[in-house]
This record gives sequence, C-alpha cells and structure tokens, in this order.
Amino acid sequence: MSFRKRNIGLSTGGDRTGSVNASAQSQQAPAAPESTPGVRPSPDDGRPTTSTGTPSLDNILAGHGGLPIGKTLLVEENGTTDFAGALLRYYAAEGVVQDHRVHVVGMPEQWGRSLPGLIGPADAVDDKQDKRKGERMKIAWRYERLGEFGAGIAGSRVPTATSGDQSQPTADGSPDKRPAFCHAFDLTKRLTHPSIANLNYIPLTPSNEPLFTTIHKRLDAAIASSPPNTVHRIVIPSLLNPTIYPPESSQPDSVLPFLHSLRALLNTPGVRATAMITIPLTLFPRATGLVRWMELISDGVIELCPFPHSADALATSGAATSHEEPPQGMLKTHRLPVLHERGGGSDQNVGQDWAFTLSRRRFEIKPFSLPPAEGDKEGQDGAVPGNMPKKADLEF
Amino acid sequence: MPTQPPLPPLLAPYVSSLPPSSLIVLSTVLGAQGNWLTLRYLYAALNASSTSDAALILGERHNGKKQKVVLVSFLRGWEFWRAEAKRLGLDLARLTDKRQFAFVDGLSELFSGPRTTPTTTTTTTTQTTPPSLVPSPRGGPVPQRTILPSRSAPGPIPARGPQPARGPAAVAAPAPLTPSAPSAPPASSREIGPVKRLHLSGKGPAALDRLEKDIAAVVAHLSGRATATAEGEDDSEVLLVLDQPDLLLAATGPGQGIGATEMTEWVMGLQQYVHATVMTLAADLPLIHNASAAAHQMPTPLETEHAAFAIGSAHRAHLVMQLRDLDTGAARDVSGVLRVSKGGAWGQSDNTDANGSWEEKEALYFVQRDGGVSVFGRGE
Repeated sequence: MSFRKRNIGLSTGGDRTGSVNASAQSQQAPAAPESTPGVRPSPDDGRPTTSTGTPSLDNILAGHGGLPIGKTLLVEENGTTDFAGALLRYYAAEGVVQDHRVHVVGMPEQWGRSLPGLIGPADAVDDKQDKRKGERMKIAWRYERLGEFGAGIAGSRVPTATSGDQSQPTADGSPDKRPAFCHAFDLTKRLTHPSIANLNYIPLTPSNEPLFTTIHKRLDAAIASSPPNTVHRIVIPSLLNPTIYPPESSQPDSVLPFLHSLRALLNTPGVRATAMITIPLTLFPRATGLVRWMELISDGVIELCPFPHSADALATSGAATSHEEPPQGMLKTHRLPVLHERGGGSDQNVGQDWAFTLSRRRFEIKPFSLPPAEGDKEGQDGAVPGNMPKKADLEF
Repeated sequence: MPTQPPLPPLLAPYVSSLPPSSLIVLSTVLGAQGNWLTLRYLYAALNASSTSDAALILGERHNGKKQKVVLVSFLRGWEFWRAEAKRLGLDLARLTDKRQFAFVDGLSELFSGPRTTPTTTTTTTTQTTPPSLVPSPRGGPVPQRTILPSRSAPGPIPARGPQPARGPAAVAAPAPLTPSAPSAPPASSREIGPVKRLHLSGKGPAALDRLEKDIAAVVAHLSGRATATAEGEDDSEVLLVLDQPDLLLAATGPGQGIGATEMTEWVMGLQQYVHATVMTLAADLPLIHNASAAAHQMPTPLETEHAAFAIGSAHRAHLVMQLRDLDTGAARDVSGVLRVSKGGAWGQSDNTDANGSWEEKEALYFVQRDGGVSVFGRGE
C-alpha cells in the first residue's frame, strides 16, 4: 500500500481500519438500522436502501433512491464492452468507502485493486452545480428534509467530506442523494482506502461439490460470521462467462438453484445485503429460457445496449445539446426492485428511454432524446457545432 | 387503507367462490408480476370469513363454510407476503394464529438447506406470534425466526458447519407454537408452525413426493385443527395457492428426473388435498414459444419442459388469468393487461353458479403506490 497517501478522502477512515465491524456493531446495535453509513430509508416507503455507487442509477430504481437492502440487481450487457463492469466497480468501491463488507465472486484480487479512486461525495464533483441550484426550489419538502437528515448523519461520520456540500441537489434534479450516501469515483485512479483490505474474494476453485454450492456456502459463512449489523455487498461479475466459469455451470439446474439460494440468503431476516450481478447477453441471449429465469429470480433487471462504433454519428447527434457528452448506449429497465414485485407500473420513470454515458468520473444515466431527423441538416448542425469542421472536410 | 376497494368489482367474481376441486392458473411475465392478484385471492378467502362488508361484495358466502388458505411460495419470503397483505388489511400473522392461514416457505431452504447462522442464539426470543409482528425486522439485531424443523433434529447445531444438518433449530422450535397443537403426533416430532420450510432433497419424483408430503401435512393440520376445536365448522375449505412452482421445474429439469409430467402429477396430487388451487406460472415469451416448432433454434430442455407444464396446466385449469405488459409499451397509469379466459376444464364442475358468473374478458389494471388496485376496461 505504498500509494495510500494519494486518495485519502475520509479523514476518519484511519481509526476504523482494523475493527471496523466490531466498532460499528457496538455503536449501531442499539440504534435504528438507518443510522448505518451508506444506508438510508427510502423516500418511497422507508425501507432501508443503499447506494449503487452511481447516483443516476440510484435515481431510476423506482423512487427508492438506491438499491433496497435484500435485493439483487441483474445488469445485462450486449456486446463486448464492459460498461456493466464499470457499474460493478462503482458499486464495490462505494461499499468499500462505506465500510460495507464486499464479497467478490470469481475475480482475483487484482480486480479489487483496480477499483476506481475516490473523489469525494458525489455532489462535490458535479460541475453543473450552478445550473442545478436554480432547480432547487422545485424539490419537494419531504426530500429536503431527507437531505438535512442525511447531512446530519454525514456530519457526524465524515466531517471533512461533507463540509462544503450539505443538502445540495443532485445531478439529475432528483432529490434524494446526500453526501454520505453516494460518492464519486475516478476510473483512472485507484482506490486506496483502509478498508479495501476487507474485500472478501471468493475464488472459483474446482472441488468435488458443485461450484455454485461452494460459492453459496462461502457467502453464507462469511455473512454469518460477521456482526449482525454489517451491510454486505455481493459482487458477481460476468456470471456464466465461459472464461471464468466452467461450462457445466450454465446448466439451469446449476445456476438457477444458486440464484434462488442467493435470493433466499438476501431475504433472510437479519441479513442486510445487496447483490449486483452482471451477465454477458451476447453469450446468453435474453430470448432463452435460462436467462429469463435468471431475470425472474432477480429483483431488478437492467440491460445495457452500447451503441456500436459505427453509430458514433448517431450517438453524437443524440445529445440534446452540444454541452452534454454524447450517449454511449441505451439502458433498458426490464424490472425494478420492489415496484414490479408489487405489480408495477406506477413509477414515473417506467417506460422512459434511457441513455448512458460513461466518462472518467461518472456513469450517468439520463433520458434519451431522439436526434434530429436525418434530413434536418440545420437542426443537426445547430445542435452539434463540434461536428462542423469534419463535415466540411468531407465535402471538399 | 387503500383508496380502492380491496377487491376491484370487475375482479371479484373471479377470485371468490371458487368451484370445488378447481384449478386456476395465473400466468405472469417478467414485467407484470401477479403477486397483487395472488393477494386478492388470499383476501377473498380470508377476509370474507371475518368481516361483513366483504360479504356484500362477494355475494353469498360459500355455504357459510370457512375458508382457509395455504400459501406455498417458491420465490418470495414470508416477510414479503406479510408486508404486502398488511397493505391490504390482512394480518397474516394473526390469521396464522387463528389457524386460518399457513405459509409454506419454498424460498429459504429449498436448495441450500437450513441456514445455521444467526438463528441459534436469537430464536430463543420466542414470540407467541409468528415472526412478523416487529415492524421493521429487516436488519434488526434480532432476526425473528421461528423455525420449525422439517424433520426430527438429530443434535445440537454446530455454530457454522459446512454441512448443515437438517432441522437445526430444534432448540428454538419450542413452546410458543407447539402447545397449541394438541394433536401433534408424538412419535414423529413433526411440528407444523406458522412457517414451514421446504427443502428439496434427492432426485426425481421422490424429491417431489417429499415436498408433497410436507405441504399435505400443513394442509391436514390446518383443516384438522378446525375439527379439533369443534367450532362447528367441520368442513372448512382449504384454498391452496402455489406461487411459482415452475421454479422447481426450471431449477431441476429432466436431467434430475423432474419434468413437466412429474410436475403436473405433483400438482394434481396436491389438488387432492384441497378445495381449490391457484397456481402462478411464468409465461414469458421465451419460456413458452421457444419450444414451438416455429422457433428457429433448438429449444433447450428448460424451455420444452416449461412450455409443456404451463400449457398442460392451462388445459387442466378451469380458469386462466393471464397478466402481461401493455402491448403498446409502459404507461404511467396502467400496469398491465389482465386477460381472463376459460381453461380446458371449464364447465366440468358441478357448480354452475360460479361458472355462470365467469365470463372471458380482458381488462387493464393499475397497481397504485399504496397497494390499491383498480381494474378497468379499455377506455374507461
């Protein structure tokens, strides 16, 4: 850990290194569950939620402002890109920063070392703050109150980090994010946090019992052996990917019982855990029964459809204004935690077309706006002045 | 309380007064889950017997017979059903105490066996009521698990054993639940409490038989209890609700000797014990249509078996309630489409009453944030 000095974001991190869990437990045991760092009640129905590490992803999760505890999120990705992996890294890094217990399945320790570096609370790096401040008045009063509540907790926990940005509005004009809840990370840097050593790696070692049985037992044991109030994050990158998993693991009678057991584990009373799983859709298309069952067992299902490189022009013109970065792909929400379990449909974000943009500092999900019509040159040129020189070059 | 009536008027004829030995198949898809409808079945059966206003909606009760419900859920835990039923005004925990309702947990230990972990110390905090009465139990330091061993427990629990023995918490299963079960057979220490946990062990039909026995024991206990207390309701009707039993099929498959045929027989076996059966199934496109000859790819065994099971069940059903997404895409004020159609066994029962009030129709439904549901025709 020679580079520890680089990204020490939280000044209080040092004194909680060794006995994180123990101290957290002693402090938290009598208190309400919501007072755990990184966990806050949902503005929708008050259930505890935790951040995915990506503010805009938190915001589309059916109004809960985060991933509800006990839920799994299945992130599917088409093609050969690794946007889903970036989401997973944010998710894991957020867990590290929040002193959650992070379990990584099937990845070497190298994966943990490549987690994105901490910049600070998510709001601090929002470069559009000035613009957003005007929108602040529109925020409903109940969310305002939530923000103050969060700031109070943040102040007691991480004083340095929250000094400048208490109860500021969020990136998407959506209200419920507070500094201590979600952080911003830089993909080009490496996370150095005291508790990164607490990552629990579960390797896929061949043994005489089925692979997934071993994984489940190790997860179960790890969760069982930690103090009761610990918040766990289970990270399963690229499930069923044949470079990681043996071929027989993609049999339904192998992977579906595992996912079912994982769901059971997360639903166990007293266990506070979330899980995020990614799966390569190109190898396992959504049109197969196996993947559909995996989706049915998961609580939330989102699909990433990156634009192919040849569609760069479309992507560029898809940006609403030239100030925004062009979207890199579409994001579809097939199922949202809690909402669809109840019957679904009443969320205002349902049916929305989403586009995502991954930049160095954040993964942003925003409503997708159709580009101007093909023949509308003026509209296109007006919208994308950056492209003008190129087109001129082509014509000559 | 929801602003909508708990039972939408359009829905009421279909969820109440189920004809004897009928099967109702409730097919759902990924984006249109049927839990709300399952809850309406629970509500129609359980609430009608206690309150009078529901009787107005339902019309005449079923010969005054008391209805009881056994809910077997393979994808959702007790906590979910309890919380959602509470939004509807049903207190499942209390109903469990009154022996009107029993929950069979097919989620927690179906494949993994009993969890050995935090239960050992905490289950000593026994409550006279099932695990549910603490308002926000999730994450509380005390997991309220009143587990009952599914089989006789051999010995003390290792703190964290790699091979969790069956029936771990025999220590914990004690007083609060058992003393009220007078007729519990002493020899077999099988105890039936509020939450019975299923565990799939072994292979093939034998494993299914074991599950059937477990569920049948719960049913027998529930209906037998009424006679024991001699409340004059000897012939209570038990409604069996199977929530996504197709998971069993998907997660085992013909490779383990469980195919569509075995599953169908299993469901038929269960139907024998009860008055009526409601079964939810996944009917997503890949699960049904991939198996057909028109599909371009070779169907996987999972798809073939699932399609066979789902379609076969629909043919045996009296009524098929299909939920699906809105064809025109998601909308903010519509959750999905409900289609009621006749099953293959339509009109075979003697109870022409119910059949008379059932007619095929298609309607839209909307699940509100507060849990209320409105069902309405297109354009209304």
